[in-house]
Amino acid sequence: MYNYVIRRVGFMAVTLFLVTLIAFAVTNILPGNVALVILGPNATEESLAALQAQLGLNRPLYVQYFDWVLGLLQGDMGQSLRFGEPVAALIAERLPRSLLLAVTATLIAVALSIPLGVYAAVNQNEAPDLTASMFAFVGISMPIFLWGLVFILIFAVWFNLFPTGGYVSPTEDLVGSLHRLVLPASAMGFALTAYIMRMTRSSMLEVLSAEYIKLARAKGMSQRVVVLRHALKNAVIPVITVIAFQFSYAFGGVVVLEEVFFWPGIGRLTLTAIQSRDIPLIQGCIIVVALIYMISNFAADLLYAYFDPRIRYGGEE
Amino acid sequence: MSAQRAENAEHADGVEGPTDSEAPLLDVRGLRTEFRTEGDPVVASNGVSFSLDRGETMGLVGESGAGKSVTARSIMRLIDTPGEITGGEVVFDGEDLLEKSEKQMRDIRGNRIAMIPQDPMSSLNPVMTVGEQIIETIRRHQDVSKSEARELAIESMDDVGIPDAAERIDDYPHEFSGGMRQRVLVAIGFSCEPDLIIADEPTTALDVTTQAKILDLLNEMQERENTAVLMITHNLGVVAQTCDHVGVMYAGNLVETAELEDLFERPRHPYTRALIDSIPEVDSEYDELPTLDGAMPDLSDLPSGCNFAPRCPHATEACRTGGDPALESVGDSTSRAACIHAEDLDLSESTAVEAGSGRREIDRSGEPLFEVRNLKKYFSAGDGVLGNVRLSWDGGGLPSVERRYVKAVDDVSFDIYPGETVGLVGESGCGKSTVARTVLRLLEPTDGEVYFEGEPIHDLGSGAIRSLRREMQIIFQDPHSSLNPRKPVGRIIGRAMERHDIATGEEKRERVGELLERVGLSAEAASKYPHEFSGGQQQRVAIAHALAVEPKLIVCDEPVSALDVSVQAQILNLLNEIQAETDISYLFISHNIGVVRHICDRVAVMYLGKIAEFGRIGDVFSAPFHPYTESLLSAVPHANPNRKTDRILLEGSVPSPIDPPSGCPFQTRCPKKIGEVCETDVPELEDVGDDDHRISCHLSIEEMSERDSFIRAERQSAETVESD
Ligand SMILES: Nc1ncnc2c1ncn2[C@@H]1O[C@H](COP(=O)(O)OP(=O)(O)O)[C@@H](O)[C@H]1O
Ligand code: SF4
Ligand code: SF4
Ligand SMILES: [Mg+2]
Repeated sequence: MYNYVIRRVGFMAVTLFLVTLIAFAVTNILPGNVALVILGPNATEESLAALQAQLGLNRPLYVQYFDWVLGLLQGDMGQSLRFGEPVAALIAERLPRSLLLAVTATLIAVALSIPLGVYAAVNQNEAPDLTASMFAFVGISMPIFLWGLVFILIFAVWFNLFPTGGYVSPTEDLVGSLHRLVLPASAMGFALTAYIMRMTRSSMLEVLSAEYIKLARAKGMSQRVVVLRHALKNAVIPVITVIAFQFSYAFGGVVVLEEVFFWPGIGRLTLTAIQSRDIPLIQGCIIVVALIYMISNFAADLLYAYFDPRIRYGGEE
Repeated sequence: MSAQRAENAEHADGVEGPTDSEAPLLDVRGLRTEFRTEGDPVVASNGVSFSLDRGETMGLVGESGAGKSVTARSIMRLIDTPGEITGGEVVFDGEDLLEKSEKQMRDIRGNRIAMIPQDPMSSLNPVMTVGEQIIETIRRHQDVSKSEARELAIESMDDVGIPDAAERIDDYPHEFSGGMRQRVLVAIGFSCEPDLIIADEPTTALDVTTQAKILDLLNEMQERENTAVLMITHNLGVVAQTCDHVGVMYAGNLVETAELEDLFERPRHPYTRALIDSIPEVDSEYDELPTLDGAMPDLSDLPSGCNFAPRCPHATEACRTGGDPALESVGDSTSRAACIHAEDLDLSESTAVEAGSGRREIDRSGEPLFEVRNLKKYFSAGDGVLGNVRLSWDGGGLPSVERRYVKAVDDVSFDIYPGETVGLVGESGCGKSTVARTVLRLLEPTDGEVYFEGEPIHDLGSGAIRSLRREMQIIFQDPHSSLNPRKPVGRIIGRAMERHDIATGEEKRERVGELLERVGLSAEAASKYPHEFSGGQQQRVAIAHALAVEPKLIVCDEPVSALDVSVQAQILNLLNEIQAETDISYLFISHNIGVVRHICDRVAVMYLGKIAEFGRIGDVFSAPFHPYTESLLSAVPHANPNRKTDRILLEGSVPSPIDPPSGCPFQTRCPKKIGEVCETDVPELEDVGDDDHRISCHLSIEEMSERDSFIRAERQSAETVESD
């Protein structure tokens, strides 16, 4: 297990290195000239060249890259061209808001999908199962932002229960903050529920036909004990990976959903950065999102190992 | 075991046991269980009636799909949808279980009727400790505290012979070997002192040596608790060694019930006779196993007359038209049979023809076809950051670097002549399959030489290997693995011919048809997909596939282990016939000693990656023996209740191939161990006779021929067991 963790951390370091390479390459291939973006279309050749030099953009690419990576290692992601502030500070301000949204959405999804998945599996091919499966099918086919629009339409426009968007910091106004969190988080949570539920259901079905479940029944265990103690603990193991994967997916979905709900998180920040060719900011956002992605997958593996004793004590016997 | 039977016989004679009462413990009357699927309902248990007294063991035998498990699960009311019990009574201790509520049934399951399942690997919950799984059973049915339940669980683990029970109780199932897991399952079964144990193929997944131990354990527990046992098995050897009376099932019906001795001495139903005859016995020679041709009919499409008529050698017109015969007493015997001719038929003679010297003589004067010299295959062990290198701090000071290997095959040599079958036997994990894969270069050998017709296979490049594949084929235990599920079998077989330029176009199609007919299928089978065949038929297709390229050698890795005895006999006969026609050679791997005895000319007995004994069948299966061979042979349950077996029970389990014992690999378990010399000196594989019979043991030939010492050793070990 210990070896496994070390190996995984090493693996993550390599991946992160590759991500920096890709992020750097992509942003440099991106059409559009930063100096031009900053100075506008009427800028002179000289002023453009001067700005290029000032920004260090005329140095060889590998020098720029090492400079950037060196900065990254020290926590310095450079200055945003558009906002004129350090990229790190910009991200530090937006990231927690996005995390709040994604974590809440994932929690909602887990709370809904696991019981639903178990229920559907236990009542396989009966009305509740079929309903849930249909719901899952619709859920999976619909993109996240569409869920967002549907939720806005129903709960904000028709019933006027929640605001259509916006963000308030929980430290300033907890109730107001939660009030605004409900819609975007539920919209995203619903979108995620479908997939996790489907996974829980099929995993549960597989486990319920296992020999050890038959033995548990033959020992006189009640349905409740069989399902919750014997089956769920096994069925949930593969679902954990899916949840982590869905969390990463949620993070991707955030980009669009934040736009729909005027949620000033890292998603909107990234969009702004791309629109204004703000290279340091784009790079910073890519790195941070990739990091979150990797960490959540790593966490999934650790949880997996925690739940599965065969891995926990595995390796050498 | 025989003492146990004698005792039960007394009970049957009316001698009152402590808990005996007039009525049987279990009385199943006309039990009917159906499965409603899309087509016609499948009646898996069709009016089954039998009874079982306290302390008695009843066997339930028959081919797979005969309805044994469904019958057993119906007794516990554990039938899942779309199954349903649609009729009959299950009177248990005077009460009809079919009348009980589900809640009342839950109080009975695990408490008064317990189940011991087949597969020790999948029957324990992998995320719960074995302790939790025993304790929850105890707490479910007995009013005890957590700590009392834990004590009881430890006690029950002790009872089933799990060493260090108090420490091991918190271990997870994967930390136990297969045999130990089966003991855990026995412990769970007996934990609430049930009146009835239903053991569904409790030893099928185990090696013979482990099987012998588990059967002894079951018997001992049963004797102690006076438990009745319903023993479901397809192994008539197990039945002969454990049961008091037997029920034979066929196509959902009970077709014969009889006292054990009667069943074997004078079977009353032709199906019983055929089942008994299709088992290759360890100590008899047959030219050909009598087979039960064909297969059991589809339960949703039964014939109009006797279900067995299509396969019955005694069938008459009356059998085919008169409806399915009822189970009725035969004459004045205690046997019952579902056969209209039962009264007139005398089935006491085996139809198997013993042919003392019927074995073909192999000409070993020329060059061998296949030769393996000093083959080694090591797998790296461990998966740490450092790979198989492990740092050990044992000595103090600087850590030392140590490379760790699983020595799966360690210095194995043998040869195979044209037209010969050489067997590899041994317990699971001894390296048999690894030998098979390494000699074909499906795995890279670590060291050693392999020659095929003088060609050094170990030296060939991958292109040359590929063309040699034409000469050497492999058949696996699971035919699925070699048959592409998405292609009709005709295409699969034809493809092999094309790949090796054997035939194309019309000629190919013709030969595919011929091959399929050769292996006992019809030419039309070419258009069917693999899943449309039964297990035995799939194995036939796999054989046709292997034969398609006209190889000189086929490596058969446990080709019949997953099959019913009847189908097994058909496949073994087929392999023999093909050999007689084409002079093909086989390397035949099996853990079933009877099968090896039947099909092989020479055999290598493997233990921990090494050959313990090698020689002709007749030599290996008679004295002098390697002590390991001797114990393997003694552990085989004979399908003959009158045979006295003096089993040599081996202590412990096979040691890890990462850290094999010093000296003789068998020294940790050898009942004949001499002493220090076995721990320090590795015995050579030396000639002990003229016919290339070799044994790897320090004992003298006389000592290896002696049997008294075994009995002495067994007595001693029995005493030690009793004294602790
Ligand atoms: N790919 C592998 N990696 C590591 N160990 C292996 C591998 N394949 C087989 N072994 C080990 O080699 C030994 C022999 O296995 P095998 O050849 O499958 O035995 P058998 O055929 O008698 O069951 C076992 O201890 C097994 O765990
Ligand atoms: S009734 Fe006829 S076909 Fe059936 S087992 Fe008896 S002899 Fe054979
Ligand atoms: S060498 Fe010794 S330990 Fe090994 S089999 Fe012979 S007697 Fe037993
Ligand atoms: Mg094997």
